[in-house]
Amino acid sequence: MISRFILAFALAALMVVTGVGSYMYLERHQSKIAAPPQKPTQASPRPDAFFLPGTLYFAQSGAIYSLSTGRFHQLTPEAGWTQPSLSPDGNSLITVQRLQFWSDVWALTRFGSIEGRLTDNAGHGKCYGDTGANQWSFYPRLSADQHTLWMSYDGPKFVCLGFDDYNVNLSIWSVPYGGSIAQGRSWTTPNDYTGGDTQPLPLASGAVIYTKYSYDSDGNRVGQLWYTNRPGSAGRALTSTADDCMEPSLSPDGHALAMICTYGKQVSHLVLGTWDGSNLGPLGGVITDQLVAQPIWAPDGSGIAYLAPSSPDGPFQLWFLPRLAYFPPTPSPVPTPLPTPGGPYTGALPTPSPLPTPPPVVVKPIQITTNLGFDATSPMTWAS
Amino acid sequence: MAGGFAYFLPAAAIAFESTGVLPNVPSPSPALLFTPSPVPSPVPVVQGGPFTVLLLGSDDDSKFSGDHVLTQSMILVRVIPASKQVIMLSIPRDLYVPLSCGYTSKIDGAYSCGGAGEAIATVQQNFGITVNDYIWVGLLGLIKVIDAIGGIDVVTSNPVIDDYYPADIYGGNPFDYQRVAVLAGPQHLSGISAMEYVRSRHGDVQSDFGRSKRQQQVLLAIRQKAKQVKPADIPNLAAAIGGEIKTSIGLDRVAQLVPLAASFDNPDAIQQIVLLPPYTHGGCPGTSVCPNWGLILPLVHQYFP
Repeated sequence: MISRFILAFALAALMVVTGVGSYMYLERHQSKIAAPPQKPTQASPRPDAFFLPGTLYFAQSGAIYSLSTGRFHQLTPEAGWTQPSLSPDGNSLITVQRLQFWSDVWALTRFGSIEGRLTDNAGHGKCYGDTGANQWSFYPRLSADQHTLWMSYDGPKFVCLGFDDYNVNLSIWSVPYGGSIAQGRSWTTPNDYTGGDTQPLPLASGAVIYTKYSYDSDGNRVGQLWYTNRPGSAGRALTSTADDCMEPSLSPDGHALAMICTYGKQVSHLVLGTWDGSNLGPLGGVITDQLVAQPIWAPDGSGIAYLAPSSPDGPFQLWFLPRLAYFPPTPSPVPTPLPTPGGPYTGALPTPSPLPTPPPVVVKPIQITTNLGFDATSPMTWAS
Repeated sequence: MAGGFAYFLPAAAIAFESTGVLPNVPSPSPALLFTPSPVPSPVPVVQGGPFTVLLLGSDDDSKFSGDHVLTQSMILVRVIPASKQVIMLSIPRDLYVPLSCGYTSKIDGAYSCGGAGEAIATVQQNFGITVNDYIWVGLLGLIKVIDAIGGIDVVTSNPVIDDYYPADIYGGNPFDYQRVAVLAGPQHLSGISAMEYVRSRHGDVQSDFGRSKRQQQVLLAIRQKAKQVKPADIPNLAAAIGGEIKTSIGLDRVAQLVPLAASFDNPDAIQQIVLLPPYTHGGCPGTSVCPNWGLILPLVHQYFP
């Protein structure tokens, strides 16, 4: 007969084991949906990792990071920094610092040190207590000659509006580099109550491509790429309202435009079209099974990087689509019989045997990061 | 067993606390995740049959006292399990209707005169439909729900820019303003950003109607993300959300609904309806909008029989 003491001890031990075991089992079966993203600098590259060429700059959690040879470097503290854009000479990062009531454009070195502030968007208490006296600047870019700063800006507010102007829209502005907003010019007239015109892409010709938000005939809000070559002109739409396209990016050779289009749904396809300097060719979807954001071409033309969740509804990760996926190699020409050396041949020429058709090469996107959480409203910029 | 009990202890503790609170409030309790609150004459759902849920969203900051809040968001959701269809219909908050508590006003005031029961009764009486259940969520509730599931992916339709957005959630003065700029395009929204996206209406030419469309977008994104929730996540979710949601849906129904929600994977089977003009028009007192019942009722009865 087992003594009561031994029985009690055995049952107690069994209770502890099953209790701890149950707890550990349930803990292991939690999903990871609420796990916060990792800091990029905590991610160490795998030995077999795919390295992107050059240096890519992007934003996460209010900090600017660079990615070079598989390693991340934090360039700024987590203090509202976002939307980096490389200057054409490759020496500076034109960047937004976003605070609670306004945002400003700053020039940083490629290592994150401050070179100077390019806008002054704080209200400075000129209209006491009026939050609307502050300004936003987003999506800054420098012109090819580096003399002009382009940005989305919500228009100067010279008078205190007294809490009654709700029609706040961004428009495309150009400002002399290092100058004040008083020297700037508004290039576009945004549609009222839509949020406005954003994402300017200055061209070497002096014209600009941008995204205009408007309403279609059914009252749905849509994005459209527009082109304009002088301030105040109406310009013209490059894409239809039905395509709902945004976030344009020009290829290094200037002959193709990448963008994302939603076609009115909660999806965003990576779409490409040819570009001749003022006209956009037919659009073709390249990635249609992911929520794609912020496409950018590799400076060496080897592919397109973009942001997309790696799992449904997860934070955005970095992906790379090799060039072969959207510009397949030109098939080798069928050999033609050459003239026989030594004189003309008048007989029948042998028919060249047809080459076997190679199976189509399927090039898939390469996922570069796994547990990060990139700011998908921040364009990336890429140095060679 | 002991480990399992310990694991679910946070959820159990919250449920226990809510039970203690129930008798002290006249209307649905400020209670907890999956803790049913009383609703006058709830209509039982036939097992496996279609059902209708009224989603209610309120500004419940300190400008308001107790349960006397308006419901800025009122969305009827019809779920048809057999065909895996979902219909969402946003009721304009400014719709001028007779309230079940006795006077005629904007429909968003029904909740303030009697809680969820009055809101349901007002909707049933005016739209001629049956509501089976309700879910009410306050400002913090929506933020906490979205943060508890790790954020949501949304393609925001346009830049939502508001110079006079209420700073009433975390600020000391509920009458303060702040600036908001939710940029356009695909992005991963935190709870606070999603709240800004669905709550702002100043910069939208469609005002409350435009906001309703954004609310439906976010609701669908929450539903999509919630498919990844596992039973083992419930304690953490309950702890995160506790006190911010009221519902008539009991735990037993939740257990039925979780696998059902996961099986709804065709986005084209979800219909979204906003009662834009000509379903509504101006001419009613103040800032309210008049219903065009001749158009609304046939539409509603088509989808909410």
